[in-house]
Formats: sequence, C-alpha cells, structure tokens
Amino acid sequence: VEPLEVSDEILSFDPVTLERRPVRKEEVIEKLRAAGDRRGAAIVRALPEREGFLDPDAVDRRLIAIHCEMQRISEEFQHGQRVAELLRPLLATFRDHRVAGPLRVVDVGCGTGYVLRWLAAFGELGGDVELVGADYHPALVGEADRLAAMEHLPVRFLVGNAFRLAEPGTVFLTSGVIHHFRGPSLREFFVNHERPTTQGFVHFDFLPSFMAPLGSWLFHVIRMRDPLAHHDGVVSAIRAHPQEVLLSASREGAPGFARSILGARLGPLPIPRAFHALVGIRPAFRETLEGRLGARRTRLGGWQ
Amino acid sequence: MIVAALLYLLASVDATLLGYSAASGRNALIRKGAYYRRAMGWGWLLGQGAILISGALGAAILAHSADRDALWSDVQRTGTRMLWVYLPFALVIATAFAFRAIPHVDIRSMTSTIIFGPLTFVRPLVGAAGLAFGIAAAPRAEIIGMGTLVLAMMLSLEYVLGGLFRRRPP
Repeated sequence: VEPLEVSDEILSFDPVTLERRPVRKEEVIEKLRAAGDRRGAAIVRALPEREGFLDPDAVDRRLIAIHCEMQRISEEFQHGQRVAELLRPLLATFRDHRVAGPLRVVDVGCGTGYVLRWLAAFGELGGDVELVGADYHPALVGEADRLAAMEHLPVRFLVGNAFRLAEPGTVFLTSGVIHHFRGPSLREFFVNHERPTTQGFVHFDFLPSFMAPLGSWLFHVIRMRDPLAHHDGVVSAIRAHPQEVLLSASREGAPGFARSILGARLGPLPIPRAFHALVGIRPAFRETLEGRLGARRTRLGGWQ
Repeated sequence: MIVAALLYLLASVDATLLGYSAASGRNALIRKGAYYRRAMGWGWLLGQGAILISGALGAAILAHSADRDALWSDVQRTGTRMLWVYLPFALVIATAFAFRAIPHVDIRSMTSTIIFGPLTFVRPLVGAAGLAFGIAAAPRAEIIGMGTLVLAMMLSLEYVLGGLFRRRPP
C-alpha cells in the first residue's frame, strides 16, 4: 500500500470549479489506517472538526504554519538559489532564441510562494520576467500574497489551475510537488505542458535514494515542530518518483520537449543530492541551454 | 581560569545559535536578517542568564565548602575533561560554518545534510556525554548537582526561546 500524505487527504477541491469540498474526518482516518499509517491517523484525529467534517479554518491555519516550517528547510538547502541558478540560463536561452516576452515563470502548486518570493527578492532574472504562482488553496495563496506585499516583491499569486491561466506560462516550475501526481495523473500533468506558449519546465523534487527516507526522517525530526509536517516530509521522500518514472511520464505526456535530469550526483562523488530536477526544453533550444549552463551542464544526465 | 573562560565562550556561542534555531521556521518573510539577529541576541541574553545563575550557584557552593581548594581543583579537572568532548564538537561546527561561507549551493546544502543536521540531533547527547566524562574524573555530589543543573538549563534554552518566538504572522 502506498504511503499517503496527510495534507493531501485533509483537503479537497473540485478540480473544475475549484470549490472546496468538505472532508469527513472519519473517512480520512479510516483511509490512513487502511494504508497502515496509524501515526497519520492519530494526527488527523487530533484535528478540530465540525459535525464530523474537518474544520476548514483550523486546517488552513495549520497548513500555513506547516508551509512556514517547510520554508525553513528550503532556506537551509538554498532552494531559491538552486532554482535561480537553473532559471537564469534557461531564460537567457529563450532570449537568445527571441521567444516573445514577457517570459512568464509559473510556479505550479506554489503554496505560500517561497520560491517565487525569493526569486523576486534575489533572483536577478531580468526585467522581462514575470513571476506568477498558482495554487488551488485560497488560504495559501492569500498568505503568499500577504507576505509578498509586506516586502513589496514583484510577484503575483492566483487561485486556480496553473495550466489554465489567461496569461500562459513560458516556463512551468514546481518544487516538491510532482510526487503528488501518481499513476496516470503524472502523465496528465505533463500533457498540460504541451502548448505552444510553453518553452520549458523545471520540476524539483526529493531525489529518491537509499539514504533519502532516513535523511528525511532525521531532518524532519530536527527541524519540524509540527507532527503533520514531520509525517508528510518523510512520506514525501518515500513517494518521490525515480528519475526513470519522471523521464518516461514526461516523454509520453509532453513529447514536444527534450528532457533531462539535473543534479542526481554530487560531481564525481558517490554522494546523492537531496534534490534533483526534471528539466524540459524545446529541442531547438537544447544546445543553447547547454552553452548557457557552462560548467553546470555536466550536471545534466543526458537528453531524452 | 582558562577552562572556565572556554566553557563560558562555548556556552555563549551555543545559546546564541540556539536563538537562531528557535526562531527558524516561524517567520515566512524572505528578508529577515534583522529578525535572526534579534533572535540570536535573545539567545545570547538568556544564555548569559543561565551562565550567571550557574556561576552564582557555583560560587556559593565553593564559598560554603569545607575543603574549598580540593573542590576548586575537582571543578577544574571536570571542566578540562568536559572540554575534551565539547571543543572537538565545536571545531566541527566551526569548520562547517567555514564551508558554509563558500557561495556554492551544493556545498552549503552538504554542510546541512552531513554536519549541521546530524550534529543538531546529537547535541543533547554530546552535552550529557561531556558532563558524564567530566564528572567521572571527580564524582562529587556538588559537581554532579551543579553540572546537571547547567546542562538542564542549556538544553531547555531552546524551548524557552521557542516560547518567545512562537509563530505569530509577521
């Protein structure tokens, strides 16, 4: 039985109308129990309820706090910088090929928008770049907006489907999101990339390795205060897709892109990185991107 | 006095870094240098409070001891042995900070995965091990009591600081 993330189970949105659906507490507890996850079930049992349904306000407050804790891990692992180091050459490649601007970077499932806010503050991506975050969850988007406004950061956050925005993305970006798509929905996720305006995608996630579950457990024990954050952080590392799965799903779903995995190993050392990224780009831009990456192109695992 | 000065220095640095640790994950802004500086200031200040209480208690015990010279000598011996454990630990942390200063994403991340993360995990154990190793040289009731009190204060500091920084939306 595949492990479940509690945060996936305590929220439900209609994928078409984006309307929030009530979640029956006992059903979630039973589902987690059936998956053999007693700890997850206990976490849900402790959540406030209203007449048998999870209290949506309490869930929202909890998820906002958890995203704040997750941001700590992203900060410690320099995730903003990591994304910027890949986006800069990618965007430069688009400019070299005269892709029509503005170059819009869309963060799919942006949560409280840490990556885009960091990029807006320190990314130095260029004046022709627009940063847009999209998420189904209004409370997280509201928090992202509030935080961005406090620091006057040039970034927008929207409630909605990132692939159906009125102003479509030039690049789609995710961080720690892609493992939420399982089975056929992973392929469907990539099908959404296949549109004329999209020139590339970058999807960061945990790198699955024999060390990942233990490393993730250790880090979440040390750094996370909320048991839900701890639980889901460890499960995320277990659920992370192997690179063959990512490459295969993106090949089937988005055949119009060349794809590669960035950064599976730390140079010549046999030390796995904590994160890797699936990078996709239109085949005509491949050589330019490699040139723009410079020495970093050795981190790419070969194009497919 | 060098032993006492070194233990004071290590305790102060530890408390200051605890301030940073306790404040982490509670503020979702991007630019928060001032927030962390303030948190580290609180850590240092509370650490000084713990050190002051320990120092005052130690001085009182010493003043009322019948064999003051022997007790002082045992305290010195205990402190020296504690440093055998704490100084290498501090040296590894300092080395990790040196690597962290290199502006390279992977090197910085590696300091977290290989050093800061695991060493944060074992910090309470190292604290207890250093004390036990020190006490083994001079197992007197006064030293055991004092040492345990100081260790308990240093280990509980993060929770006290956590209470101070409990998440409030910025």
